[in-house]
Amino acid sequence: MLRAVAAAEQLAILALARADGVPSFAADGTLSTWEVLSQQLVTGLSNGMIIALIAIGYTMVYGIVELINFAHGDLCMLGAFFALTAVGALGMDAWGGAGGTLGLVALLAATAVFCGSLNWTVNRLAYRPLRKASKLSLLVAAIGASFVLVNLGLFWGGMPMEVFSGGNSAAAPKAFPALVEPKPAFTVGDVIVSRPDVLVLCVTLPLMAGLTWLVRFTKLGKAMRAVAQNPTAAALMGIDVERVIGASFFIGGSLGGFAAVVYSIYNQTVGFQMGYRMGMDAFIAAVLGGIGNLPGAVLGGLLIGLVRAMSDGYIEARWTNSVVFGILILILVFRPSGLLGAKLREKV
Amino acid sequence: MAMIRPMIRPIAAVTSALACLTLALAAAPAPQDGAKTLKVFSSLPRTGSANSQTTSIVNGIKMAIEERGGQVDGWTIAYEDLDDASPQKGNWDQNLEAANANKAAKDPACVGYIGTYNSGAAKIAMPILNKAGVVMVSPGNTYPGLTKPGAGEPNEPKIYRPSGKVSYFRVVPTDDIQGAVACEFCVQDLKAKKAFVLHDRELYGKGIADVFKKSAAASGLEVAGFEGVDPKASNYRSLVTKIRSTGADVVFYGGTTQNNAAQILKDLRSGGCKAPFVSPDGTFEKAYIEAAGKDAMSPEAGPVFITFGGLPSEKLTGLGAEFVKKYQAKHGEIPEAYAVYGYEACRVLLDAIDRADAKDRAAILAAVAATKDFRGALGTWSFDENGDTTHRTMSVNTVKDGEFSFVKAVDSGAGKAK
Amino acid sequence: MSAARRNPLVPWLGIAALAAWPLVEPYLPAWMHLGEPLTEVFVYAILGLGLNILTGFTGLLNLGVAAFAAIGAYTYSIATCEIYPFQLGFWPGLAVTAAAGALAGFLLGAPTLRVRGDYLAIVTLGFGEIVKDVLVNLDTITKGTQGINPVPPPSLLGTALEARGQYWLLLAFVVATFAGARALERSRVGRAWISIREDELASRAMGIRPDHAKMLAFAACASLAALSGALLVSRLSSSGEPSNYGFELSIVALCIIIVGGIGSVRGTLLGAVVMVGMNSIVLVRLSEALNSSGADAVQAGEPPAGIGAVWHFLRTWVQNVFLSPTNWKFLLFGLALILMMIFRPQGILPPLAVHEDPPEDEPGAPGAGQGARP
Repeated sequence: MLRAVAAAEQLAILALARADGVPSFAADGTLSTWEVLSQQLVTGLSNGMIIALIAIGYTMVYGIVELINFAHGDLCMLGAFFALTAVGALGMDAWGGAGGTLGLVALLAATAVFCGSLNWTVNRLAYRPLRKASKLSLLVAAIGASFVLVNLGLFWGGMPMEVFSGGNSAAAPKAFPALVEPKPAFTVGDVIVSRPDVLVLCVTLPLMAGLTWLVRFTKLGKAMRAVAQNPTAAALMGIDVERVIGASFFIGGSLGGFAAVVYSIYNQTVGFQMGYRMGMDAFIAAVLGGIGNLPGAVLGGLLIGLVRAMSDGYIEARWTNSVVFGILILILVFRPSGLLGAKLREKV
Repeated sequence: MAMIRPMIRPIAAVTSALACLTLALAAAPAPQDGAKTLKVFSSLPRTGSANSQTTSIVNGIKMAIEERGGQVDGWTIAYEDLDDASPQKGNWDQNLEAANANKAAKDPACVGYIGTYNSGAAKIAMPILNKAGVVMVSPGNTYPGLTKPGAGEPNEPKIYRPSGKVSYFRVVPTDDIQGAVACEFCVQDLKAKKAFVLHDRELYGKGIADVFKKSAAASGLEVAGFEGVDPKASNYRSLVTKIRSTGADVVFYGGTTQNNAAQILKDLRSGGCKAPFVSPDGTFEKAYIEAAGKDAMSPEAGPVFITFGGLPSEKLTGLGAEFVKKYQAKHGEIPEAYAVYGYEACRVLLDAIDRADAKDRAAILAAVAATKDFRGALGTWSFDENGDTTHRTMSVNTVKDGEFSFVKAVDSGAGKAK
Repeated sequence: MSAARRNPLVPWLGIAALAAWPLVEPYLPAWMHLGEPLTEVFVYAILGLGLNILTGFTGLLNLGVAAFAAIGAYTYSIATCEIYPFQLGFWPGLAVTAAAGALAGFLLGAPTLRVRGDYLAIVTLGFGEIVKDVLVNLDTITKGTQGINPVPPPSLLGTALEARGQYWLLLAFVVATFAGARALERSRVGRAWISIREDELASRAMGIRPDHAKMLAFAACASLAALSGALLVSRLSSSGEPSNYGFELSIVALCIIIVGGIGSVRGTLLGAVVMVGMNSIVLVRLSEALNSSGADAVQAGEPPAGIGAVWHFLRTWVQNVFLSPTNWKFLLFGLALILMMIFRPQGILPPLAVHEDPPEDEPGAPGAGQGARP
């Protein structure tokens, strides 16, 4: 038999848990099959849009320099740390109303510039000297850059700020303040569409539209497409290839910055090891859609998000990774260049 | 020759780099090989997110040695803090744990090994140290199979004792007690009817979730779902929808802070589920509260409980309270929950060294095994014949205003754990 | 053409020195005791040599070689551990492991023959993740995260080997694998692999069957990786958790062959020494040395104002993270990889040209030929 020793004060806590707790705990048991499915779709879409935004960064860089930029996920991680530092230093979680909205927009912009510049710098320092080296060397340099960025994240986490909780817990994940409260924006039946869900759409859709415009209709976009197709020919046509490469690293990185802020608000967690999973999901998405193909990355991101949600909901969470990778392998075996990808050049 | 030259350069470069390193390492402080020095090693995951917890354990160990002035019975005690985690994994690594255990086994001055933190790592270190006759005292392993026959695999714990002797001891009560306590708490205090059980698929997390499930079946608590999660996922929203649809009125997570306990809690709350969230001692560290944040831990969001195989630092009495006070004075903060276990593990080892007539491995091992009615920071307790502590006080804690807050102590009694 | 051929004594001297090491070691100071980390180097060297066949010789990038090591580790554990009915013993266990590895290589290789370039890399990566997950989830067979215990240690003629014997056995394995890889490199199939790497179309025109050769490369790689997994397991006497055979291990294996010189058999050995040595010897020793002179944490107190606040902030920050050498591991590792790639992208010991031309000073070693862009 258990012998319980409890003081009055602690019993009060229990009573509290019981009094306002018990009735509401079980109230959710009424979700219908359709409501569960719709809720899973909402979750899958939101996660998918974030993944898509990061995947674009992978795919842009790949399209232009044929590099699987392993450091991209970790770049987003640093973006999240940047955002968390800004939020903590300015006390942004206390801002409300219009100030809060403006602040959020400024935060998105600042993080995007930060990540873009960082990605540009990484390219300048680590990848550019390797432009003529083998693809494998470039890949290893990217793995090295990823290690460096992860370590910078660890250092950053040790900053003695309140949002980081200081102390020697540099490595522990940090809570990101709920700048957009995780409350329902609206509900359909028992299906909750939360405010962060809405935020995700509000940020990602315009960005994707803007990017499409940039690549299709601007001079820079044209140059990027030219370099992607044939860098030598592009150079002969008077395009400054290095400038274009730098620009795509900047743009891909800044999209990662937007994604980092949205991700942090959506998940409310920032940690120095989160880049791996962020990067891995996005990377699979990019490959699934056909790496180097922008609409493909978005499609891939959405698919990965939805597949994850469905697998968690209807199979078992522990099999989700296998399901995602299994689908990836099947698609690549039967359609070796991804869903929307062009046929790969015969070069390894 | 012309063909060889391009190869000689790299070889020369590498050799000279190695030579420089060798010199640099040679210049590093060499251990004083005094005749009367005994060595104690600890092996804990120092790299990665368990760092905060293990730092306070190491501080606890150091304090125990300092209290005796670094000397026991005229012998100097040297202490070395080994890391069993690698940066690539951010978690404990079997190769490093094996290397640490071998290092200790080979060092003739080594008479004790404080570790490990992770039960999985203990499986690697135990047979190596057992063969060498080095006594091992763990401050953190709670997987029952390491010591208790019949609690884990059929061949456990025999396989960890190739010499046939018990050489592994632990100062924490095991998960078969803790999981049952967590379940009783859900049934009796929370009046739960239906539980959703999650685990991180690891030795510790799945083990305690299994115990919870078994106890639930015995006490009439329905288990609406039992699932392993991906501890690296960015969020668990879809799982939360699944939990909501089952109508569970309590959620138990067998897992650690490092395996995303806080993320599950956050997603549960923002996904609109207010059921109490109960997790074991792997989340009983400040990092959990910090990672979960104010909102998810506020009383309006829904209650949060953490079980722990002992009393929290501020509820310790006697020597334990003194330790906390001293720790606070020295390090400027209340120690993490496991610090006192590091302190206790080291104290019981030093006490055995003191009692042993010969200062060799065999005599010290025998002295540790003979520990009876030890008056320590955790109360008065003994080691039983398996190497387990007889100390069985558990506690249930919650979080209030960003701090752990004690709810109740549960003394599970000697007869309870079979 | 290699230095080794010019100086036939060099490799023998190396082997002799390594073989003599355990005899010398007891007379050296404690910090020079390298036997333990060296056995780790040996295991990784075998893994690297396996990967080098697929990625180095044949030019097929594999980011999931850890999966083969996992298959090997678990096959060996299940074949030999006392809790399963087979209990084959060390040598038969190894034979089964190598065969199972080859089979796994075929199984992955066959459907992915049409998948090319980076896409193949992704497929192998996915395969690695799936194998790891399946090992965790099929816990009725694999014991999940429990790991399989106890796995018998290496034995010779019926006697279990102790640390020194294991060292020599592993050394023998490395030497044998090394010799085997060198022989393969020069053999008919090895030349076919290399020609596929250089130009698949041309080699097809020369009568080489690329599909056939690629399958063989997969099988050889998987078999060696499985062997390394089995050796690792027998050294630790436990299969460990499946998460030990994840993406990180694949990356370490890849870094070994690239740092050493992709496609180079000698380079792979050196790569194993450098990578594992950095991780298990240099960084560990460095943190031990620094730890013994570590500083204590700051006293809590009211933070000062003004310029003092900045100073206090920086001081606390430095004390929080920068003082512990373990916190620098990633950074050193990453910087070393980047610098290596910039200043010596072909690796420390790149493979020597198979034929006389091109001249040596051209950066066109076979590794650089792969997909280098104009």
